Amino acid sequence: MAETGKSDGLRLGFLTSLSLGERGFVGGLLVTNHMGRPLEFQCTAPVRPNRTQEILYGPTLGPFLLGDVIGRTLIEKATVKPTLVLVEVPQLLELRAQTSIPIACLESTDLKAEDAVRFPADALRLRLGMQSLVFASDFEDDLEAIRGKANLVPKEADLSEPFGRVRDALQETVAANAA
Amino acid sequence: MTSDTLTDSTEFRTIPLGINGEVFPSGVNAALRRPLAPESKPVGLVERVTLLPAWKPTRFKVPTFSLTFAAGLEFVPPKPAKEEEAGELFQVQAPAPLISMPTGGDAPPPTKKKATRLKPPPEALSIEDRLFYVLQPPLESFLRGQELVMPFEPFPYQYEGIAWLFSQTAALLADEMGLGKTMQTITAIRLLLRSGQVRRILLICPKPLIPNWQREFKTWAEEIPVTVMEGDGARRRMLWNMPGVPVLIANYELMTRDMEEMPEAERPKFDLLVLDDAQRVKNRGSRTAETARGINRRRAWALTGTPIENRPEEMSSLFEFLQVIPPEGTPDVRQLMNLSSRFVLRRTKNLVMTDLPPRFDRDEYLLLNPAQQHAYNAAEKEGIIQLNEMGDSITIQHVFELVLRLKQISNYDPLTGESAKMDRLMADMEEIAASGGKAILFSQWTKCIDWIKLKMDEKLPEAGSLVYHGGVPTKQREPILKQFKEDPNSHLLLMSYGTGAVGLNLQFAGYVFLFDRWWNPAVEDQAINRAHRIGQKTQVIVTKFISKDTVEEKIDKVLNEKRELFAQILGGGEQTNASLSLNASEIFGLFDLKARAGKGVKSIAPPKAA
Repeated sequence: MAETGKSDGLRLGFLTSLSLGERGFVGGLLVTNHMGRPLEFQCTAPVRPNRTQEILYGPTLGPFLLGDVIGRTLIEKATVKPTLVLVEVPQLLELRAQTSIPIACLESTDLKAEDAVRFPADALRLRLGMQSLVFASDFEDDLEAIRGKANLVPKEADLSEPFGRVRDALQETVAANAA
Repeated sequence: MTSDTLTDSTEFRTIPLGINGEVFPSGVNAALRRPLAPESKPVGLVERVTLLPAWKPTRFKVPTFSLTFAAGLEFVPPKPAKEEEAGELFQVQAPAPLISMPTGGDAPPPTKKKATRLKPPPEALSIEDRLFYVLQPPLESFLRGQELVMPFEPFPYQYEGIAWLFSQTAALLADEMGLGKTMQTITAIRLLLRSGQVRRILLICPKPLIPNWQREFKTWAEEIPVTVMEGDGARRRMLWNMPGVPVLIANYELMTRDMEEMPEAERPKFDLLVLDDAQRVKNRGSRTAETARGINRRRAWALTGTPIENRPEEMSSLFEFLQVIPPEGTPDVRQLMNLSSRFVLRRTKNLVMTDLPPRFDRDEYLLLNPAQQHAYNAAEKEGIIQLNEMGDSITIQHVFELVLRLKQISNYDPLTGESAKMDRLMADMEEIAASGGKAILFSQWTKCIDWIKLKMDEKLPEAGSLVYHGGVPTKQREPILKQFKEDPNSHLLLMSYGTGAVGLNLQFAGYVFLFDRWWNPAVEDQAINRAHRIGQKTQVIVTKFISKDTVEEKIDKVLNEKRELFAQILGGGEQTNASLSLNASEIFGLFDLKARAGKGVKSIAPPKAA
């Protein structure tokens, strides 16, 4: 792969998951180049917590599964390492403590929406493409490192779009396994 | 709490348990009347008592699946075109401007646009194949201002066509003429090359269209090297198998000849074979069709605006080329419909080009001039007598010759030079030239075109007439088109249906004249669509000359009645050009031909096909 050897490029990882109800969760990581062209895709088999975990983790079970279990596994297994991993859930910024790769969360463009993701005013923000990204606090160096490459991403790039691709791909894998 | 404390804190008491015993009749005493004397002593527990379970968080071992994408071909970025070179291009203008790029900090953020996603083809069964398509970015973001610079923003239906072609291993793109089949094909090729899906492509087209394809590749995919198959036999043999040639363009004749001469083991292999003007292989028994079918390829696309010209069997031949039916397969109409829904993409202008300027068709029924009428009547009378005298030995060829003769006289009387059509053309062209407009004229005969040119130069030189037909050497054709486009004094381009009807972009012409009518409206529509296509800014006025009370009027009537016969095969939409040309029965029926046989009278026309 031409892209894997480039250390000066910007490879974006898009990490998200899909709930399968009683069957648990599947997670996917799509690594693209700075233009959104896919380089590698990793996904997990369904991960289903047991009853003890459900009771003990309570409301933190989701972030635990997606972050510690799914996210960390996918990032570790990726052969094309992303320069920056993008997530849609703020809790997943904690994943940064377990990996050396910068993690950033997409900030909702419509902050008035009910499900809008809101961050404090003093959060570490960077504009990339059409979106505003928020980096994990205490990792200011991440922001500076990515800022130096931000011009590689076109201003009209919609960074929320690849998450849709990951979800569609996860649906395909789930359907293939069910068949 | 430990076992020691448990023992220390326990109190023991002796409890008198008086149990009443009864003496059974047998004399056995059932109970002993003695008190229970429980005693206790400390006993060490085996293990310490623990009340918490021995559990701590453990990390799941999660199985994963991975897919790595092939690297696409890298091309050397093209040099910036010189201004004068860029001016030579026949560029297709699209209505929508490219998305604006905000320059200042206060500029509003770009808004999200419609996304055309690639869909996995139905035949893609493996999860890897399906994910390849699902994970590709939307075409709009793939193309627009990013890695693949497009000179113009494609229309939404073109994005759909590109996405469809990209996913298809067998495809018949049958868009109506003028909707941009060439551009969609080039862009899909570009995407396939870029994503590493194909590396060697063979494009077969009619010889006159090769410069057109080169020009379009230069416009839409400047970075892709295009090699044209030409030269002597040794050079061509080298070109056929030369590595590192992403796109090879050959004409049908060279393809047929070279493939037939080449030993089978030496024949080249291609990732994609594209047939432009694919109706060339509609006759499945022809050498061209057989050779095209035999070319080794992984994908095959066929391009034609007229997938059916005469018979449904022509579709079968195209499907056989695409290898979606077995050799010599004969699908019925229902099967053809199913195949079409899966492998054919056809859009008509009425459906997609709501913003294309309208086309106005004007059927001009002209009375022949007196001398012309006299010549026509004489020829008709003489011809019919001759045909009747031939009796049962008459063939369609004999009738056909008479039709041609009468059509020629309807154009102009060769003896006197009188022509009602010419008079009318002269009047129209005077007005068009005065207003700076441009017109193209089509005729079936090169001789007639040369005659019109002679007359126009003689009587209306300000029309600046130019001639473009099969008699003009190939090298002179491009300069003629260039002059017609750029010279403000050139107002009329005289073309033959055979040479000018396909592939040319003449959207700067607002007038089309059909001096005589072709046998098949599909060919006429192809001709008209040289002008009525994307990029046309004004309405297109199409004037069809029809000589009244002649064979032309009869042919026109028959063809109009047959225009929608194949609509069901190609699905919905107005099928303006899927139509039949005249069959033998109808050509005989143009004249009231009777042959005397004994006392009775019988029609010499062959029985109508069931």
